Amino acid sequence: MTKYGRQLGIGPTDNTSNERTPRNKLNLIPEAARTSFVPYAPRAHSINLAEADMTRIAPGRPRASGEAIKVSGKLMDEYGRPIRNALIEIWNANQHGGYTHDEDHSGLPIDQNFLGIGRTLSSSDGNYEFWTIKPGAYLARPDIGRWRPPHIHVSIIGGSSRLISQMYFPNDPHNAKDPMRILMGDSFEANIGKKYIVTDGDFDCGYNFDIIIGGKNPTFFENNIT
Amino acid sequence: MTYSNKEINRLTPTNEDTVGPYYPPSLCENNNSLDMTNIRSGIVFKPLGEKITIKGCVKDIDGKLSNGCLLEFWQPNSQGFYYRPDTESHEMVDPWFTGYARHRTKDGNFSLTTIKPGVADGRAPNITVTLFSDGIMRLVTQLFFADEKSNSDDPLLLSIPEELRERLMINKVAHNEYEIEIIMAGNNETPFFDDLLS
Ligand SMILES: [Fe+2]
Repeated sequence: MTKYGRQLGIGPTDNTSNERTPRNKLNLIPEAARTSFVPYAPRAHSINLAEADMTRIAPGRPRASGEAIKVSGKLMDEYGRPIRNALIEIWNANQHGGYTHDEDHSGLPIDQNFLGIGRTLSSSDGNYEFWTIKPGAYLARPDIGRWRPPHIHVSIIGGSSRLISQMYFPNDPHNAKDPMRILMGDSFEANIGKKYIVTDGDFDCGYNFDIIIGGKNPTFFENNIT
Repeated sequence: MTYSNKEINRLTPTNEDTVGPYYPPSLCENNNSLDMTNIRSGIVFKPLGEKITIKGCVKDIDGKLSNGCLLEFWQPNSQGFYYRPDTESHEMVDPWFTGYARHRTKDGNFSLTTIKPGVADGRAPNITVTLFSDGIMRLVTQLFFADEKSNSDDPLLLSIPEELRERLMINKVAHNEYEIEIIMAGNNETPFFDDLLS
């Protein structure tokens, strides 16, 4: 007999979400197939330290325009245990809301000094830090005036840990109407960076963003939890 | 109802969010090529087993190709053995095959070159697919080979209604060539599985 899991929600006012969200409930994975649903990405990551500094295209190049910010935090499982040496991929829009991706046809200005793509690894304590430019909001639905609030995309691969998420900014007026934020409900709080003062270096401020990867997956093979 | 200390002390997980339309293709290993048989190029060693190509596509509720999806594939080697942290020094590991590859499809089509997976742990041969796309959170499913007798005993296939099973079948179209359509929503929707509650 089929056992059902979640019914996924469709993001309000999000056309792509309407086109791509499964209408049937998810099927619950039977225990006999459980381990086969925990993909393990082999650790073959070679990272240049400069990739964590997204405020410049390369060391020694001019600073990108906009507010330079630090984003830092700790990568953990639900039990507070660090997820070590995980690959953290970051991408975000420039201060005008434009991406360097060749499929971004919004026509928003591009900053020649901002790539908007970075990578870093979590430390042996699970800590991470990267530097970037605070992204601008962009008009996602001109027909109804719905904006995407400023956000930084993050992708985490650490052995069997896998999460793709976004960090949002506190008190942004566009947060309230974001389709995915609406689906998250009150738990949206967990996806907001907490502002802090930065005294070293030339930064406007920092944001603390602890990333907690839920479920059994983060430590399924590395550290079995019953 | 009783709770263990572990449950009481759990931290609130960070919500998943959509990958959005602009995942940078350059972040995928091996320059975004989807070939599991070539983890170290330019050497004489190759993974054991039957090399196959699976041509596939991802479609939306209107039957349109779903552009910009990030696809991740995971499977055991030809002996049915998974490469994982707890197995990596085992003699059954094929040193030339990790069973993992990812790819951002620009237009919704993909072509995976791999080794036909073996039978693992009482399962019919299958490939786990993780799908990230704009507008949705992560989706997961497993794809099977239509011509495998062991499908009739597979616990995952048996856990879903019979009429849905054929939607997870990769069909053979020529020698070592297969095809699959993944339909994210609507008519003939691909069955997806819940990765969080189990
Ligand atoms: Fe974005």
